[in-house]
Amino acid sequence: MSSSPQTTSTNSAYLTNQFAHRFVRALNNLNHTKTSSHGHNQISRRTSRVKIAAYTAMASVVGSRRAWSRAVLWKIRKRSRIRSLLLRMNRKRVDHKIFNCHHHSKVMSLKRRNPNPKRQYYFNPFRNSSQESKLRKLVPGAQTMDSWCLMGETADYIKCLAAQGNNRKEVQ
Amino acid sequence: MQKENIFTNEGNGIPQAWNSIFGIGIQGNEGNGIPSLEWESNCVINSIDQRDIFESSLTSIISSPANSGTGIPNSGSRDNIILKELIGRLGSICNSSDISHITTSSCYNTPLNSPQKVVNMSITDHNIHGNGNHQFPLAKYSSLVGKNDYNNGMESGKLSRVSTETGIKGHGNNNNININNNGRKRKEVAKGKGNGKETQSSSTLFAKDDKVVAEVEKEESDAKRSKSNDGKKSNEKSTEPPKDYIHVRARRGQATDSHSLAERVRREKISERMKFLQDLVPGCNKVTGKAVMLDEIINYVQSLQRQVEMFRPQVVVPNNVDPFDTSVHSFPYAFHSQINSMILDRPENQFSMNPLVAAMHRNSTVKPSHIDGFGEASTLWENDLQSVVKMALGGQDQPQDFHGQMKVEL
Repeated sequence: MSSSPQTTSTNSAYLTNQFAHRFVRALNNLNHTKTSSHGHNQISRRTSRVKIAAYTAMASVVGSRRAWSRAVLWKIRKRSRIRSLLLRMNRKRVDHKIFNCHHHSKVMSLKRRNPNPKRQYYFNPFRNSSQESKLRKLVPGAQTMDSWCLMGETADYIKCLAAQGNNRKEVQ
Repeated sequence: MQKENIFTNEGNGIPQAWNSIFGIGIQGNEGNGIPSLEWESNCVINSIDQRDIFESSLTSIISSPANSGTGIPNSGSRDNIILKELIGRLGSICNSSDISHITTSSCYNTPLNSPQKVVNMSITDHNIHGNGNHQFPLAKYSSLVGKNDYNNGMESGKLSRVSTETGIKGHGNNNNININNNGRKRKEVAKGKGNGKETQSSSTLFAKDDKVVAEVEKEESDAKRSKSNDGKKSNEKSTEPPKDYIHVRARRGQATDSHSLAERVRREKISERMKFLQDLVPGCNKVTGKAVMLDEIINYVQSLQRQVEMFRPQVVVPNNVDPFDTSVHSFPYAFHSQINSMILDRPENQFSMNPLVAAMHRNSTVKPSHIDGFGEASTLWENDLQSVVKMALGGQDQPQDFHGQMKVEL
């Protein structure tokens, strides 16, 4: 990896700081924008929103440098895009069938083309490939990577997750 | 007997001399007795530094076999003899120079160096067959070179090239750095192909940076190996930019076709990354093996994700629960749930969030811009955030209790 141990330590401090900053800002935005009614589904929605805020904060700190952060941000933006689209559709009160068709087409257009199709002909060094598939599911954006990139992304992801976890620990 | 040539041609005097000595003809710079030595097996010498030493030793090597092998036709036995002598001389050079570099010298050196099988076993065997005129420290040499094992236990009767070299130059580290940095497979360039074809089915590998790798080739199935090596040469990724390829070496007992070499490179890279991950994941130092390591990594990632999402569910439940907290399932202590409850239940939560915002703004100004102060800034930030959390949780009247309750169990 590129960062030396010294830069990693300062990186982690910087990361945790940035995480905290952005996460709190996201929570603040969340609180200001949403004023819907209360209910249990609202709780779950809030939970998911806070979770999204956490991931967004983490990914935005890293930015476009790593593939996993790009994947996280891309997913979140796609979701927000679809949501806004749905809202627009709802407001226009389009017919249900047309609405579904439009939704589907929009979703398909938003779907990202697979830039790196998984290469099948490479020798798989992991005999037990189920672990690797598990890892791919865990790390965002790692579905279409080869093993070497997957390991690199996992390393960076672990680093950022640990930094954010430490951040929470210190906060509380 | 056909030997193989591995050249890393830098255009400087020594490799060309070496090549010329052993491959094509002798127009060596040495000019003593060498022209008579025509040798099918070619050695590639890694000449990074100490070229003078190399030259001198090279001349000594060449001269001594040349004396004995003058006028010898290229026959198999003679090649054995010459080869043995050369190896002996190389061994002496290795002994004289920094021996430790030999261990690190393999251009294929990775952190996960498996103990090198005796690469020179073939050499010793080979040389035993030859005449025993010269007593060379072959065993020692083989043990020296045999420290770096590229074989992943797949040794077979098939012999491949033996890399002896970088130790000679004493700059194996350079090799390692280059290889680890490049991370790509460096294969022959078109130049090598021509030379290889010339020198009687000897294959040459060129590295574009200043490296000449000395290898002594032993072949038991010469025709097959030469063909495969030629095939490998011709299968070069010649489209790769010259500076961007790794020097790949076929290990003893391993297949030398491009696919297996590529796979080996890939495997080495991945194991390198696995080692890095092992350092990242706590408590994985004693774990050996990829499968267990992978399991540990997966568990660790899952637990971290759960932490991030759930705000560390293993927290101590505070004694005094926030009266406004209606979310039963959430831990009243958790920041997340508190914020949730605040957001949901109290319209004046917006006001309570404002001090949070205010604290944020306040803190952001305090935060220094340079990296050094980030540690302090983070502590400042977190202290402030902690105070904000206390405020948000419903009152300044319980800061101490809150602080006492703020224990995280993990």
